[in-house]
Amino acid sequence: MSGLALGLLGLHGAARAADFEVQAETAAQAYQVTSPWGDIVLDRRRLMQTLGLSVYSLQGKYEPGKADYSVTLRLRLNADFGLNQQHTGEPAGSETSFDGTGRRYVPGMEEAPLDLMYGYVEGRNVLRGWLGFRLGRQYVSDMLGWWSFDGGLVRLTTPFYLQAEVYGGLEQRNGLVLSTGRYERNGIWRGGHEGFGSGAGQPSVTDYPSFQYAQPAPAFGAALESSGPSWLHGRVSYRRVFNTGTSITQQFANPAPAGTEGGFKAITGDRISSDRIGYAADLNLMAGAPVRAPIGAKGGFSYDLYADTVNTWFGGVEAYIGQTATLGVDADYYLPTFDADSIWNWFTHGANTTFSGRASFRFTRKFDVSLQGGARTWTTEGDPATFGIGECATISKSVIPDCKPGTSYIDAWAQSKTLKFVRAPENRQQTTVVDGLGNIAARYRIGNGQLGLRGMLQAGERGHRAGGDIYGEQGFVGGKFQLGARVSLYDWDDPMRPDRSATSFGYVLGAGFRPGSVADLRVEWEHDMNRLVGHRFRIVGLLNLWVLK
Amino acid sequence: MSGARPENDRRAIARGRRGPALGWLAVGACAASMLLGLFGPGASAQPAPGAPSATPTGAPVAPSATPTTTPSATGMTPVANPSAAPSAEPSAAAASPSATTSAAPLEPPAHASGAAHTHGISPIAGDGLVPLEWMPPGSKSSPIPSDEIFPPQELTIRFNHKKHSGELKQACKVCHAGAYASVDASDSLMPKPNETCDNCHDVDHSDLRNVKPGTDPNGQCTFCHLGDSAGAGGKVARMVIPKPNLRFPHKKHLDRNVQCGQCHGRVEELELATRDQLPRMAGCFTCHQMSGAAQGDAKGNCDNCHLTDPNGKLAVQFGAGMLIPPTWMHNAGHTADWIERHKSIAADDSSFCGSCHTNTFCTDCHDGKVRNRKVHPNDWLSMHPEAARQDNPRCTSCHAEQTFCGDCHRRVGVARDSASGTRPEGRRFHPDAAIWTTGPRSSSHHAWEAERNLNACVSCHTERDCATCHATKGVSGGQGVNPHPLGFASSCGTAFLKNPRPCLVCHQAGDENLRTCK
Repeated sequence: MSGLALGLLGLHGAARAADFEVQAETAAQAYQVTSPWGDIVLDRRRLMQTLGLSVYSLQGKYEPGKADYSVTLRLRLNADFGLNQQHTGEPAGSETSFDGTGRRYVPGMEEAPLDLMYGYVEGRNVLRGWLGFRLGRQYVSDMLGWWSFDGGLVRLTTPFYLQAEVYGGLEQRNGLVLSTGRYERNGIWRGGHEGFGSGAGQPSVTDYPSFQYAQPAPAFGAALESSGPSWLHGRVSYRRVFNTGTSITQQFANPAPAGTEGGFKAITGDRISSDRIGYAADLNLMAGAPVRAPIGAKGGFSYDLYADTVNTWFGGVEAYIGQTATLGVDADYYLPTFDADSIWNWFTHGANTTFSGRASFRFTRKFDVSLQGGARTWTTEGDPATFGIGECATISKSVIPDCKPGTSYIDAWAQSKTLKFVRAPENRQQTTVVDGLGNIAARYRIGNGQLGLRGMLQAGERGHRAGGDIYGEQGFVGGKFQLGARVSLYDWDDPMRPDRSATSFGYVLGAGFRPGSVADLRVEWEHDMNRLVGHRFRIVGLLNLWVLK
Repeated sequence: MSGARPENDRRAIARGRRGPALGWLAVGACAASMLLGLFGPGASAQPAPGAPSATPTGAPVAPSATPTTTPSATGMTPVANPSAAPSAEPSAAAASPSATTSAAPLEPPAHASGAAHTHGISPIAGDGLVPLEWMPPGSKSSPIPSDEIFPPQELTIRFNHKKHSGELKQACKVCHAGAYASVDASDSLMPKPNETCDNCHDVDHSDLRNVKPGTDPNGQCTFCHLGDSAGAGGKVARMVIPKPNLRFPHKKHLDRNVQCGQCHGRVEELELATRDQLPRMAGCFTCHQMSGAAQGDAKGNCDNCHLTDPNGKLAVQFGAGMLIPPTWMHNAGHTADWIERHKSIAADDSSFCGSCHTNTFCTDCHDGKVRNRKVHPNDWLSMHPEAARQDNPRCTSCHAEQTFCGDCHRRVGVARDSASGTRPEGRRFHPDAAIWTTGPRSSSHHAWEAERNLNACVSCHTERDCATCHATKGVSGGQGVNPHPLGFASSCGTAFLKNPRPCLVCHQAGDENLRTCK
């Protein structure tokens, strides 16, 4: 990448007009995490350090609409020096090193992992606006999600309100060089197998059959997107990712020697990881449209071609009442799907669907409020309230005389009797439970600061959570100094774990100093108190440095 | 059209005939004007510094004027004798040219009769509402121009476009010829008075440090310039028109026959042109709808018009505030609940987001390492289990569950596959097995929770945890509890062909059930 950048500089010979930017962000955090039973306490001593380097306008003077080249990258160190510290009497580093015993070992975890968040060369408006490209580690964000890959992307923009995009490379995967697992599909536990082996005192796949090897994951995709009109936009995109290499399949040791790896069966070869198509569009008739109306609409879906199901869809309509108010209704459907290697695609049954109405008011330039309320539905195949009673009815009373859901135990023999009941379609009718939900958000800007309010409520038979924050920030001496505060009160209740229900009060005090446009320092002190943890403290220090030449 | 010089000599002769009667008339007018100044409505074309603009409605738009103010008692400067010089207060203090910090609204100048001018101090006489059809295109969507693009102005001049363009038939070019050569939005396109105004008005602006008003009333400083003691000591209030934060070449548009009214509205119907006559982005999109590769220049690309930072992103931080998209643009109004709303915009048009926001802006949350309290408030560590059950917010939009969530769960002993040293003895995270795990199913059985929200399970469990029961009996190591939805057998064939790996976790290769899929 550096060589390419230098080559472009040399070609255009206008290095003196290029803009250089160096950005560094440091975040230090200290707090404790306890287990639900309180007997394990983890000290988090986190340090995140990023370093961003960018060179813009490699071609010389920037002119809108003309070819523009840049290079940008961002490295990140995300360390937790609290790892391994709380276990006295254990071998040093026992959480991140198997060390012969593995009593504390968590596979794949590192004390100070380094990753390249992004790093690419970009060209825009090349060939009189027809062509754009990116080479390197980059993001793609659309209806298929926020995704990162190493490779190349080419965008062709035509004069006919349409642009096409193709890209290909390797998906960023946990365990690969300078990579995290943030962008791979959920459902598979993957990571680096450093130290793994078959020797004594080494972890092996026998110990962790679910922990899969990180292998390169070739991927490609394409998209068609509208270009130009401001009142209508749409994008259809397709992406396919492959898994390669060997994957443990069977989770328990297979005594048969043939076709095994360390006693476990495995599969080798290229196979689908993700195969999806998505589409999203928005329409707004307020301005620029051939027909004018104070309304807007949006919608989209993604379809998982591997699981043969709609993974998510959303839709919404907004009406603009003058300049002050916006009213809208939205619907959102979500069915979890996973990496195609994952068994959980075949465990997924029901989606959750959220319906909401929304009102937003902008009373003045300084003051606006948004309100949202609605319902979220959850579905099951069968009625949880009566299903177990039906199971009991199929079991002979001589076997389990006092059969009751939640207290009796069905052994293998009894289970065979219930099987017919369990798989009968008439007993698996879709049943829905509903959570009510609401949000409020408000902001009031005062000169160099603002006051804000955020509140939420979600409640149903599976528990509730409600609460809100009031926060304020104020700058002084032209923003050179900053003070901030936040007060928070939340209450939650979980019927499945009543001992974990609580009301929690918290506050945050923060102070900041911005000596110039190149630096920004901020310190925050957080104190939360509730019956579960008593008092939890967290201190955060943030330092941003930025130089642009 | 050039104006003829007024016939001052004839007027001078006529004045001599009128004698004392005129003087009494002047006194009466003076008194009347004083009374008017004390009790009448004040009119100011521009808001006083610090005063809010009127909130617009969808109906005919009021000019961005302050509410009426009471003029100061000393504001009026009656002219006792038309032949006399304006009898400004002979105060040694010059008229304050404090353009940006004037404390009182500027006063309309006085007629020769001593009464205040009522024309040219607002777009519509009497500060009336401007009909929407006379406003710049796009005003229905955006009744007032953007403060960030067009910072607030101070217009200290009285001017009647309707008289000049309408009655006197003067084209825009007569006074604003500079527009035809202007390639930069920062160019000043106000007329040069010595080249334009002086052609008709009895005044000499050739030396702006020593302006010489003539004898005709229309040549007096106060005829056009507003403000207390305008013209006193040869000074007038400074006009403040900050340069727009925009790229805009008038020349390019005029060369393509985009006429003034197409962007500024029916200025010829208005008197004073104010900020309200500046273009609206909604109007720009009448033409700027073309893609980046279009042969013409009316591209819809943001940086075609908006200023950019060196990194190519739009400059959004200005003295007047932060530039944010209007509500009507991709439904992307950055409202107070934007955190909840932005996903639909990003899903459809992330490059629109990327016109202002860097990668870092998004990754701070979506791949962040410092907890954002707007998303995860209060004691989130204690509260997040219930949030995960409610899928609010959606964990998978930011976190990789099997590593980010799972690693911490393994460390504290919550996960089933926690290392032996952290696995709590005798403790369960979930309810008792009779309620949670085994049949007959209670209403809190894990099957219902898994069906409703499988992601919550995936944040803690690995495949082996589930295969313990749900794999087939025998070599696969499970109990044969079928986890599949009804009708699964009829749909698994395609998936098996694409990737048989998950099937082989629970089934043996020769499993009869697998043959159905094959």
